[in-house]
Order: sequence, then C-alpha cells, then structure tokens
Amino acid sequence: MSSPLRPPLIAGHKSLADVTRDICTPLEGRPSSWWWAGLAVSASMLLVGLVSVGYQIAWGIGTWGLNKTVGWGFDITNFVFWIGIGHAGTLISAVLFLFRQQWRTSVNRAAEAMTLFAVMCAGIFPLIHMGRPWLFFWFAPYPNARGPLWINFKSPLVWDFFAISTYFLVSALFWYFGLLPDLATLRDRAVGWRKKLCGVLCLGWNGSARTWHRYETVYLLLAGLATPLVFSVHTIVSMDFATSVIPGWHTTIFPPYFVAGAIFSGLAMVLTLMLIARKTMRLEAYLTARHVDAMCQLMLAMGCLVGLAYGTEFFLAFYSGNPYEQFVFLNRAAGPLAWAYWTMVTCNVLVPQVLWLKAARRNFALVFAVSILVNVGMWFERFVIIVTSLHRDYLPSSWATYVPTLIELTTLVGSFGLFFTCFLLFCRFVPVIAMAEVKGVLDVGHETRREDAVVTGEAA
Amino acid sequence: MSRRITVATFVHQDDVRAATADLRQGGFPVLDVYSPHPIHAMDEALGLRPTRLTWVCFLCGAVGGLGMLWFQHWVNAVQWPLNVGGKPWNSLPAEAPVAFEMLVLLAAFGSVLACLAVCRLYPGRTPRDWYQGATDDRYVLEVDEAGPASGASEMVAVLRKHGAVQIQELVR
Amino acid sequence: MSVGEKHYWKSVAQRQGVREEPPAPGVSRRGFLEAAGFTVSLAALGGCQRAPVREALPYVAQPEGARPGRPLRFATTCGGCPAGCGLLATVRDGRPLKMEGLPEHPLSRGGLCAVGQALPLGLYDSQRLTAPRQNGQPATWPEVDAAIRDQLARTAARGGRVRVVTPTITSPTLRHAIDQFLKQFPDGRQITFDPLGGSAILAAHEQTHGRRVLPRYRLDRARVIVSLDADFLGAWYSPVEHTVGWRQGRTLPLRAGGHAADATHEPGGKGDGQHAAGPESPHDPGPIDLAYHVQFESRMTLTGSNADRRYVVHPSVISAVAAWLWQRVLGVRPAGAPPGDAAQLDALAQRLRDSQGQALVLCGSHDVATQVIVNRLNDALGAYGQTLDLDAPSRQRQDNAADLAALVADLKAGRIAGLIVAGVDLTYYLPPDEALDAALENVPLTIAIGEHLGDFAGRARFVCPDQHPLESWLDAEPVAGLFSIRQPTISPLADTRSALESFAAWSGRAASALELVQAYWREQVFPRPQAPGEFQAFWDRAVQDGFVDLTAEVPRTEPVRRSADQPRTPLPAASDELTLVLHPTAAIPDARHAHNPWLQELPDPITKVTWDNFAAISPRLAEQQGLAQDDVVQITVAGGSLELPVCIQPGQHERVVAVALNYGVPGTQRFAKVGPQWFQARPTVGAGGRVGVNAAPLVALTSGGIAYVRGGVQLKPTGRRQRLATTQLHDLLEVPAATRPPGSEARQALVQETTLAEYRRDPTAGAPHAHHFDGQLWPDDHPSEGHRWGMVIDLNRCSGCSACLIACQSENNVPVVGRDEVQRHREMHWIRIDRYYAGDEAEPEVVHQPMLCQHCAHAPCETVCPVLATVHSREGLNQQVYNRCVGTRYCANNCPYKVRRFNWFDYAHDDTLQNLALNPDVTVRMRGIMEKCSFCVQRIQEGKIEARRRGIAVADGAIQAACQQSCPGDAIVFGDLNDPASRVAQAMRDARRFTVLEELNVRPSVGYLRKVRNEG
Repeated sequence: MSSPLRPPLIAGHKSLADVTRDICTPLEGRPSSWWWAGLAVSASMLLVGLVSVGYQIAWGIGTWGLNKTVGWGFDITNFVFWIGIGHAGTLISAVLFLFRQQWRTSVNRAAEAMTLFAVMCAGIFPLIHMGRPWLFFWFAPYPNARGPLWINFKSPLVWDFFAISTYFLVSALFWYFGLLPDLATLRDRAVGWRKKLCGVLCLGWNGSARTWHRYETVYLLLAGLATPLVFSVHTIVSMDFATSVIPGWHTTIFPPYFVAGAIFSGLAMVLTLMLIARKTMRLEAYLTARHVDAMCQLMLAMGCLVGLAYGTEFFLAFYSGNPYEQFVFLNRAAGPLAWAYWTMVTCNVLVPQVLWLKAARRNFALVFAVSILVNVGMWFERFVIIVTSLHRDYLPSSWATYVPTLIELTTLVGSFGLFFTCFLLFCRFVPVIAMAEVKGVLDVGHETRREDAVVTGEAA
Repeated sequence: MSRRITVATFVHQDDVRAATADLRQGGFPVLDVYSPHPIHAMDEALGLRPTRLTWVCFLCGAVGGLGMLWFQHWVNAVQWPLNVGGKPWNSLPAEAPVAFEMLVLLAAFGSVLACLAVCRLYPGRTPRDWYQGATDDRYVLEVDEAGPASGASEMVAVLRKHGAVQIQELVR
Repeated sequence: MSVGEKHYWKSVAQRQGVREEPPAPGVSRRGFLEAAGFTVSLAALGGCQRAPVREALPYVAQPEGARPGRPLRFATTCGGCPAGCGLLATVRDGRPLKMEGLPEHPLSRGGLCAVGQALPLGLYDSQRLTAPRQNGQPATWPEVDAAIRDQLARTAARGGRVRVVTPTITSPTLRHAIDQFLKQFPDGRQITFDPLGGSAILAAHEQTHGRRVLPRYRLDRARVIVSLDADFLGAWYSPVEHTVGWRQGRTLPLRAGGHAADATHEPGGKGDGQHAAGPESPHDPGPIDLAYHVQFESRMTLTGSNADRRYVVHPSVISAVAAWLWQRVLGVRPAGAPPGDAAQLDALAQRLRDSQGQALVLCGSHDVATQVIVNRLNDALGAYGQTLDLDAPSRQRQDNAADLAALVADLKAGRIAGLIVAGVDLTYYLPPDEALDAALENVPLTIAIGEHLGDFAGRARFVCPDQHPLESWLDAEPVAGLFSIRQPTISPLADTRSALESFAAWSGRAASALELVQAYWREQVFPRPQAPGEFQAFWDRAVQDGFVDLTAEVPRTEPVRRSADQPRTPLPAASDELTLVLHPTAAIPDARHAHNPWLQELPDPITKVTWDNFAAISPRLAEQQGLAQDDVVQITVAGGSLELPVCIQPGQHERVVAVALNYGVPGTQRFAKVGPQWFQARPTVGAGGRVGVNAAPLVALTSGGIAYVRGGVQLKPTGRRQRLATTQLHDLLEVPAATRPPGSEARQALVQETTLAEYRRDPTAGAPHAHHFDGQLWPDDHPSEGHRWGMVIDLNRCSGCSACLIACQSENNVPVVGRDEVQRHREMHWIRIDRYYAGDEAEPEVVHQPMLCQHCAHAPCETVCPVLATVHSREGLNQQVYNRCVGTRYCANNCPYKVRRFNWFDYAHDDTLQNLALNPDVTVRMRGIMEKCSFCVQRIQEGKIEARRRGIAVADGAIQAACQQSCPGDAIVFGDLNDPASRVAQAMRDARRFTVLEELNVRPSVGYLRKVRNEG
C-alpha cells in the first residue's frame, strides 16, 4: 500500500511508541494553564446559558422575541446550525473511511466527538422551544392510557425526533466503538483508578487478531450505516420547512441544499477546532498542512454548492411566477432583514473563494479566519431561511418584526459554552487522535521504517 | 489442563504476519496474534473465515425498517385513525423517514452488540491472554507447542528468522 | 338554547306566567344507557380524588327556573351609552356573562357594539366604588343621606342655586325623579352635558323646526346618504342603530354563477358537488342596487372607510359644502368659489335632488350655523318625515352647550349653592382652570354620583357610588315612544345605590328602583296605548320583551317651518390653517369605559392602535414636519398644549391633527401591571402613569359650549419616541414597493372587490382569475356525513366596527395581554379585522376583512403537529386540543392566515373579581399552548344537545357563533354546509363568494362575499 511517491501522512518519523507517548502523555500529565483558561471561559458561558434557560422555562416562551407571526427564531436557527456542525464529523469519520481516505485518521476522533457535542447542543433547542417542555416525552409513541393516543407520523417534527435521536445514538456508538483499542492502550499505561476505569471501559480489549478481524468488519458496517444517516438527518431537518406551505420554505431543493450547507458549516467548525488543537496540544506532526489543505478544498467545494443553491432559489422564485414566492425572495434581499441576507452571502459564498489560492490554504491564520466567517455565515443562513420567510408571509395584515431578546442571546452563548466545555473535557480525558488507526498508517511514505524497527528491536 | 505455549514479540507488523504464515505452513498451530492496530492481511495469514456479522446487521435492519413501517400503518390506519389535514389514513411517503431511521438504529446497535458478544467483550472482563506492549508498539504471537514432533527448535528458528525480539515459554 | 325558543324573564324573583319548557320526548333505551353510564362513571371519577369538605347550602327559596349550569337569558337594555340598544343578557349560576343583541329590538335588531359586549367586565371591576364617601372618608348611606338632606334643606331655605349635571338621560323615570328632586329648590336646574354631544343639531332644529330635538336618522330608508364629518357607523350617537339601517342599503341578493360551477372548489370542499345541484336562493334576485354613500370628512373615520365616495376636506369647509349642495339643490348658483370640484359637487347635488325623500344628509359639525344649513338642505330634499324622523325623534342626545358655559360662569361667580354631578366626570372634560378649581372648593355642597372615583369625585364633598347598569332597575326611551326596560341580572356586588334611588331619597320619597320605575310606568307609560288591560300583565309583557314600542302612539306634531327658504348667498369662509379635531373612539365613547381592559385592548378599527391615544396626522404633514410614526410631538393651541405620539393616518386632511378624547382617565393607573411582569416587560400605562393622555387642555370653553375643533395649532417635535401598540404594522399598507414583485396580484387574491356596474354585468366580476385544480392531490377517504359547519362573511355589510372581537373575547375567555405584549405582536384575539388600504396615501380606499380560523378541510396546521393536538372533526371543525398541545408553534408557522394564537405567558389574570366574567363552557388556557377560533364549538354542542333533547333536527340559524350573533351589519352567516337549504350553504353558492388564498387549495370552510362599491 505504501509507495515512495506518496507524501507521508504522519510527519517526523514517528515510531509506534512515539505515537502512543505523544497522544497519551497530555492525558496523563497536568493540564496546561491554557486548558484551564479555556475551561473557565466555556464553563461560565454554559452557566449563563443554564440560567437563561431556567428563567425561560419558569416564565414561558414569551421571554423570547417571538410573536404570532414569527413562531420560530433563534431556537430553531440554533438547532439547525448545530445539527449542521455535527454532520462534518460523521462525514469525515464515515464517508472518508469508506473512500479509504487515510489522512482522515488524524482527525476522525476529534470530528466524531464534535458531532456528538454538536448534536447535544442541537437537541437542547427543540426541547426548550416547546411551550410545555416537561411534556417532551409525548413525542415518543409509547403505549398510554389515552386511547392509546399515538403521535402524528405525518409530522416532520416527529421525523425529526426520530432522526436526531437515532443520529445521536449511532454517532455515540460509532465513536465509542472506535475508542475501544485506545482505551486499552490507556489502561496498559495507567495505574490505580485510571487503570480500573479504562479496564472497564475498554471491555477487556487485548488486541487479538480475531477481535480485530470482526472489529474491522463491524466498523465498516457502521461507516456504511452512518453515511446514509448523515444525509437522511439533514434531509429530514430540511423537510420541517420543505413540507410546509410558507413561501420561502415550501421548496424541493431544500434537502440537498441543507445537506451541503450542513457539511459546509461542519467542515468549517472542524477546521477551527483542528487549528486550535494542533497549536494548543502540540500535534503539528499529526495535523499537517496536508490535512488543512484537504479540508480547505472540501470547504471550497461546499461553499460553491451553497452559492449555487442560493442562486437556484431566486431563479425558481422568478420562474415559478408565484407572487408570494417572488415577494419572499425580494424581501430577503431588499426587505428589513436584508442585512442578514447579505451577511450570509458574503460569508458563505464570497469569502471562501480565496481558498482557490494554494497560498491562502497554506496560511493557517487566514484559513482560521475563513472558517470562523463561514460558521457565522451558516448561522445566518438558517436565520434568514426561518425568520425572513415567516415575518412576511401571505397576509400583509399579520406581518411582523422579530427582535431577539437578551434571553435568546444568552441561550445561544450557553450552547457554545456547552459545546466547548464538552470538547475541552474530551481533549483532557480521551485520546484526541485514534492511535490504533494512526499506527495502521504510520509507515505510509516512510521507506526507512524496517531498519528503524530492527534497531529498536535489538535495543529491546 | 495445562499446556505450554510459546510467545514471541515482534516490532513490525510485516514480520509478525510473515512469521504467522510460515509457522502455519510448518504446521505449528498459531493460537493468536495481538497487535496495537489491525494488521493488513493478517486474517489470511491466520486463515480466519470471513465473519457473518454482516448478516446480523442485515437482519436487524430489516426488522427495524419493516417493523416500523407496519407499526405506523397500524397506528395511522387501523388502531386509531384520525383525520389529519384531510390526508389519507395511510400515506406511505410520510412513513418512509421514520422507518429508515429505525432501520439504521437497529442495524447499528444489533451488529455492534453481536460483535461484542462473539468477541466476548464486556465491561469488567479481564482478558485471559494479555501482553505488555500489545496495545502500544509490540506485536505478540502465540504458538501452541503441541506442534509437529520436529519440535520447539524449528519453531524458534522460524521466529528468529522473522526477527522476533523476544521469545519466551509460558505454561497455561 | 335556540333564540327562537327562549322565554325572556323579567327577573328570577318575579317570573310569572311563563310556560314551562315542553317536556322532553320519551327517553330511548340507548339514551338512557348513555345517561346512566355517564352518571355512574362520573360518580366513580368523583371517588378518585379526595375533595375538600365544604358546606353546600341549598337555596332557601329555590328561584324559579334556575337550574345549575343552565343559562338564563334576560331581555334588558344596554346601559353602555344613551343609544339604548336592546340587550340579551346571558346569566349562568347567577353571573351575567355574555351580552348579546336583542333580535326583536326595533333599533338594534340583534346588533350590539363592542361597548355593550364589554359590559360584564365593567360589572366585575375591582376598582369600582364600593361605599359612599364623605369628605374623602368612607361613610355609610344613612350618614351620607342625613348630611346631604340637611345641607339641601338649608340650601332650599336660603334659596340657593342647585344644579344637577348629567349626561343625556334617556330614562324617563330618572328624569322624572330629578325633576321631583329639583322642585324642592327655588332655583334648581338640570344641565345635560355630553362631551362631543349633539347640542348643535338640537339648537339648529330649534331654529328651523321649533323643536329642540335630535331627529331619528332612518338610514334604512335612505338611498343616497351624504355624511358631512358624521361618523355615524363608528362613534356617533347610536352606531348600532345606524349600522342596522345602513346595512339595508348594502344588501345584495344572492346570485348563482361563479364558483357554483366547479365542484372541486367548494370550501371545506369534499368535491361532492352537491352544492352545485342545490336549490336557488329562496327570495329570487330582486333589483340589484346599493345605496350611494358619500362622505366628506377631515380624518379617516370608520364611516368614511365604508363610503362609496370619500372626499377629504378641511373641517372649515364642511359648512361651505353644505351650503353649496343646498343652493345647487334649490337650483341657485352660489356666489364664491366652490369648496372642491364644482362638477362633482353639482353631480352630487343633482343626484340628491333626483332622489327626493330618499336622500339623507348627516352632519357631525358642532357649529349651529352649519347644522341650520344642513337642516334646510334636508328640508329641500324632503328628508323630514322620510329619512329624518321628527315625529318620534331620538332622545339619544339632549345636551345643551350653552348651559355648561353658564354653569361655569355661575361657579366662578360663586352663585352655586349645590352642585350634583351624576354619571359624567365634569372637571375631567373641562380645560384646566385654577379659578374654577378654587370656585369648586367654595361650593357648599358638591355631590358626585358615579361608578369610579373620577376627577370631580376626588374633589366632591360627597361621593355616592352608582350601580352598574347590570345591577339596577331602570328604563329608557331612546326614541320617543320606544320604552325599554333595564332589569338587574345580578344583585349589587357592593354597597352601592342607583342614582335613581339616591335622587328619590333626597327628595324624601325613598323607594326601591323597581318601585320607582313601576310607579312611573303605571302613571305615564301604561295609559298611553288605548288598549284596555291589567297593568301587571302589561308590565310583565314589557319585561319579558324588554321593551314596549309605542312610537305609533306619539302625537304627530306639524313641524313649524321657521326656515326662510331663500339661501344666504355668500358661502361660509373656509380656511386651511392647521386645525385640531377632537373625537371619540368606537372603543371608548366615554370616560366610564376607559376602565374596561377589553375595550382598551380593542384595536381601533382604522389605526389598529390599542392602549393609547395619539396625534393622527396625514403622511404629507408628517413629511413636511419631518415626523415619523411614534415620534412624540408637542401640540400647542391657544390656551393649552400636550405631548402625544404621532400616528400617521392615510386619508386624513393634511392640515388636520386628530386626537381622541376619553384617554388619560383618572384611575387608569391600575393598568400599569396588566400583562406578564417578566424582567423585560414594559408597563401598559404611558408616561403620565395613565392609559393615554387627557386631551382636555386642548379644548376651549366658549359661550357656545366646549370647542372641539381648534385652529392655529402648532406641532413641535420633542425628539422622544413612544411606540404605539398596533395590531397591524402601521407602515405596511400593502406590499412595500421595493419588494413588490412585478405584476403581483397579492392583494387582489386576498380581498376582492368590484363595482356595482361591473357586478350588474357579471356576477363574478372582481375575481382575479379562476383557479382550476384537478381536485384531489391524494385519495380522499374522509367523507363528511352529518353536519359540516361553515361560515360566510359579506364584506359588503361588514363595516369593520370590531364588535365581533369583543363578542368572541367574552364568549371564549380570550385573555387581555397588555400594551407591551401587543407591541410584541402577541395580541390574543381569535378574530381580527384586517384593514387594507388601496390607492394613494392621500385618498386611499379601505377594505375591512374579518379574519378568523378558516377551518380548512386540508388544514396545513394539522399535518405538522407532532402530537396530534390539532385534528379535524367529523363535522369539518379544525379542533385544537389544549391539553394535548406541547407548544411547538409549528402549526402557527404553517398557517397561511396566521390566525393561531400562542399563550406566550400565563395570561390568566389573578384578578378574582374579573375572573367572574369567565365562561364556564370554555377552558381557560394555560401558558405554552396554542389556541384559536373554534367556531364556538361549545355553542354548537349546546345547540345539538338542545335539539336532541327536543327530538328535533338542528334548525338552520339555531346555532349562532358569538361573532355572528352580535354583528350589527349582519355580515356573518354560520351554519351547516351539508344542508343545501341553509343560509350559509346558499351564500356559499353566491357568485360573489370567494375564499382567501384559494390557490393554496387548503379548502377553507369560511367564504367571503366580494365587496361591491357603488361608484355612482
């Protein structure tokens, strides 16, 4: 599999032991002051979020800026935003795995973790956006004494409920399953309670070839299942809008459009985190310029796809001859919320174009900035889709404005707090890079490997 | 019953794979190989049959998808039909998404749990054979000494040839 | 209970001679088992929870016919204003809950305005006076009476002047009692003071016809109506009566055609096409004609918004217009420039002349000279005796502006020994005046009679709390000869006493209100009809019916014509200085009702503003002055100034500033905490701590009474802003130009209209274009057997008066949310009136479109609800299941009509007294759930149960939605679409019928009849 022409996936002649050491030591030593600082910030953000959610549940949805015309605002915007973030994780871990993109091995663990945390953040919003959140379990079709009264399987929200929960469970499973060998590694290095804990968590893994044999098969199966799942999830999310009668929502291009957008935003988020991680955790050897480059190219492609979708929407509105449809899109571009629309276009379509240049892709500072802007733009995309479609729909008599309240802003902050808190804890307690997988591709592009091995062997 | 096994440690996956192949040709029963990462083509070397877990996955998926389709039909059209927006009692397109999600969910969990079961992986399990370094940077090979009469010397020779950095005998 | 079948009882205590309900038909075995099963299960359920032990005392004397849970209905008279409409009060378990129009009443014909609908909240008002007060201290009635009688005796002895100030009193008994009271004094007089009253009209008729009366306007007989600044549909003397008359001229016969053709098109459509085969309307299409209504006005009024032709004129031009028309009608060429387009005026004059005896000119001016001209004009048109009734004149306004001026002069000169003010807050309406305040201090005896502690009551020595109209006996004679009775529907909630009893007591003839009324009727009313008989029988009949119509008995008097028939040649001078116009609003016609939260939150029919008054100016003026909506502006006139937020009003004269009276009422501080009190909530009251601002500083007291139209106004921006709470975004008249797609037909599709000429030619004129659906997008397995409820709203007869909003609010326990929530677009009204402007901002056309849940057969809201909280009933109702709703708001998002309302907070108010007005048939919704119009499902059930009890089919019209019942325009028809003969089914087949957003194919069960403008 290794050919001298291929550039190495892992830089700097790492040996198996190096890999283990590099990745495990940060977990075993004391956390850096950077880490503490980060945790302090994100945890306090989380706290703010918790307080505002508490207040909102105590008083009612009225503490948000919604009204009779705009029934969804920040809540569902954030929901779709976070779900989208999540998708890149699955994409990288599952889809790239199927395509045998071995460069993924360095990032897939972190990406999957990101998926989990993003889906957690996303899941919160449908929950708290309910008027009576304590009745959330009514979404589940469980036998009850009301008839039994089941649920409305025709409602996209029910599809959502199933899609999101399935997505979370399967992602978690995928992530944990991939974690087993590394947990075993940790167990073998650790002592005391850590050893016990990892011993339990790794289910007594011992690296037997027979286990590996089945393990690889099932891992492949999971990847095969997760790939259609990631597409189905955002397709279903888009159906929340596509199946409605509201102009600006009622359009058939939403599923591909949303999936593209999701992957786009997800890649941006992965890139953001990757660049932070490789700096703060000194993983430059594993997260190389090549990884960044590949991500940038993917992101550029997705950016263009989303741009195409924006154009298509306008064309369809014009071509449909439906005055309401036409109005909605003119209203997006020229109405009271035009600023949001143009923010979206700038961040999602124009900015990523710099990534055509190799120089730009190599300039990590620039790439970082772009990834942040894309995240902002993708948040606004959801905001534009949801709010500008609702606030002026059919009857001019019930047109209204939407201004988010403080509570909504702090809730958004809180969701970021949750995300980063989880991620920091993850960096602290779980191998951020799948050691077993990296070890598998370690000698790609290193022809001198064998000699090294002998040397080390004699040394031993 | 106690039996004697030879345990050889390698530092490179190619070596251990080659050694395994040679030993089995020599008729030495290789019990297992322990490695920090999956070794390419090791299953051929060990002569492992392809696993049947794919079928488990398929079955679970089928149960999940079809079961959910049936359940939705039963709820919508049979058990308590309600007029929802004048839509037909039973509209298949609307039932597809949920059915698909259940398909994925059951398939995923079914295959993973099955895998853990057949590998006998469970919380609190302490593996019978466990070798220091097998999860770090060492490849460990287990051979049963109850091999051909020509005996241990030949086996050790093979192991050495393939660059085993450490060979020891264990009684289990 | 069906309207046709009910008995009107005078009172629970005195019910007599009313037959029992016919015995229910024999109970079937099935019915018995159901009932038994229900009872048993109920008993079982009762056992499931431990109920707190409570003493339950039975009635000591069971009132006749009072069955727990069963509503009683009393025919009585509305006390909301002097118009005296017939009232049908629904009383449940001793609580008056719902006010409805009395269908048989000659004036209101079953209509009732918002104010009348809102009476219950005025009754259950925790801020009403509960006991008499003396010098600011609570006292008892004996104390107060003793002190007052003693004072009065001394005043009488000294021959001091005593004045009784009241608003117009239509009750003959009360007038009689006051006369009796004043007889004790050598110089005692009653002064009638109505803010924005009709004094000018009365004075004018004194001049021209020798009788100081307000004529009765017979709009039902008029084919050409010219209104000069008279808002007769909105807040002018007797809006319901006028609307009832006006609707005669707006009625079009049903015509087949149009939608009846394609079966797929039936609203709520099941595509069964039976409607196409239904019978034609019973009364065959008569002459297709409409009355012609022209409005000259300076501000956009409800009436103007309904006019066929509307001229925006400066207030000072009104009299010139009148003069011009009068002279042209007489064929005289007026000297001087025409007030407007001469050709159009002449055409109008011609048209008036052609319809002799069928023409009517109304004028809202407070200037006697102008009214004199109008009388002469009406004379020339032969209106008197036809469209103007002087023989049985209206008593709805009796005020005399000159008296007020004299009174104030007397007060300042210290010539008044006793001042009694009953039912009107005198000083609140007068411009601030230190001299007057000082003078009032020195009046030996000041008594305030009223329900609230108003401005005058705050200064008066004695405060005698009056009773609410629903608490006391009284009578009314709104039109000469039409005697109606006001009976109590509940015993007084507090230690109050009706003004009638007070005056009687102070005249030394203490008696109960009932005795007084009966006594007066025995002497004065009973003898009128020559029919022999027993008084008791006459009385009982009157109380059952609620009124006695003796207009026929009124002696015909030959009107004296003092009018020199030669017109004064010079036209009155017109000016165009910036002028202030003060006006009442339909919601709050007088300060009493400012205490009613329902009315405060009722969106103004035109501006849609709630909880505030404002300075309305034209877009042009706003442009000139650099003012924007919500800018606070300082209005200065000679003698006074105040600050108000600006409301930009299309169709208003650019040299006019319009301000509503009756705001900033003392006591409205109470509303500060209306609505949820979360940390970002803003108070419902304005900067002054009250709801709105009192405009009294802007009026001037002249010898001719109070001037409500002031010239020489200055506007000064203050730089501050105060957001008005509007239920329609004010700057959005239509799709904004910047975002209007080329060739957009949006408005046409939403609300359709046509002209009479077009409609004569083609019954379906005005339809944008026919939509053709293949009918079914999916197999339809929901057959509709039995009833299918539907509604049709005739845009031609809907004046937009908004009475239906309050009817719905009162029937369905719709909460009041407060100004802040309205500003956040969270008002809860289940039915709203969409007001659309068309054309240019200077002279727009206006359309009013009631919008409520359309109960779509293919309801988008139902499909998206995850928990099946909104589903479709077998009878075509779109049901909202409150206790299943989890509040995802997806249904509201997906509603194309945006008629769903969400409980953003716990709006259920904790004012326990106010909660007495809640309808026990309707759930009070908790926070976090969706609600919307239910087609009054509780009334549907009641009707079905009643019909079943009688073993008959539900008769068409037996079940009425609350909004329909009280509609003065009779614009709403509700009923069973599956019964081809029902009124609603026929209306659905009418050629004018359209459904809003038809192209979405959601198949609403609510149809609208296209508006037809008579463009002459």
